[in-house]
Amino acid sequence: MTVTASVPARTRDTFYITIWVCLLLLFLVGLAIFVLDLPRTTAATLIFGLAAIKAGLVLRHYMHLKHEHMLIYLMVLVPTLLFIGFAISLVPDIVWHHNFGGG
Amino acid sequence: MSAEAQAHSAGFQNVEETDELRRVPSGRLAVWWFLASEIMVFGGLIGCFLLVQAAHGGFGEAASHVKWKLGAFNTLVLVTSSLTMILAHSAASAHNSAKTRACLLATVLLGLLFLGVKSLEYTSEIREGFTPSAGTFWSFYFIMTGLHGLHLIGGIIVNTILFIAALRRQPWEILERRVEFAGLYWHFVDVVWIFLFPLIYLT
Repeated sequence: MTVTASVPARTRDTFYITIWVCLLLLFLVGLAIFVLDLPRTTAATLIFGLAAIKAGLVLRHYMHLKHEHMLIYLMVLVPTLLFIGFAISLVPDIVWHHNFGGG
Repeated sequence: MSAEAQAHSAGFQNVEETDELRRVPSGRLAVWWFLASEIMVFGGLIGCFLLVQAAHGGFGEAASHVKWKLGAFNTLVLVTSSLTMILAHSAASAHNSAKTRACLLATVLLGLLFLGVKSLEYTSEIREGFTPSAGTFWSFYFIMTGLHGLHLIGGIIVNTILFIAALRRQPWEILERRVEFAGLYWHFVDVVWIFLFPLIYLT
């Protein structure tokens, strides 16, 4: 039995559609930020912040992460932190010391 | 003697009976384990892209040729397919055969639409001379979106198989779980695109 089986189907479906509407609205806000041509750093921060919120909504409500055991959270969190850590650790070498060609 | 004790005495240990994993069905655990490995794959690619972009001081000129309107449309398609997938799961939980089939079919069709639009993009860009060897940005573009597309094809195949299984009225205790696991995978592919779209098209 799935984690949400105790909730009436109609209630579940209405909730999922509500999440979908939120995702669409966040998407439109992100597009608006892009079209407005804000300063690059501000726009990038806002757009990726919105992306993180959207991803969180999908993870938490569509993938039911909010009902899951802590083990599942760790299985998502650890590789995420790993690749972020790897990227940050390479910043001094790749970004500051390498000279790439144009393209 | 309890069933668990009997199993242990027979020298066989069912994974689902393990203390720590007792609360997590083994199938769901396996899918999340697989998704964790996929996080490393896509995370590595995205991390590389960000690092090289920072080293280049941005891909402004090259990235200005991507078709962001098509990318935006595809984002809408994929987010909607996530909705149809979760509705399929909800219908399977409620043992609603017609709705399960309809939502699975809708998910497959939306996935095919995404791939169709992506193919149009690729065709247009290659005709303009923007091939994988055209530069660093385009190498990343084709690798990241191509790998995402391959994952989407895998999801479409799985969902098509589930649709056929639903048509054949596979027992609910099997079908429901399979739809759930396929849904986890499909939502993950959506999450990857949620990050890829702004990364490639908007910034």
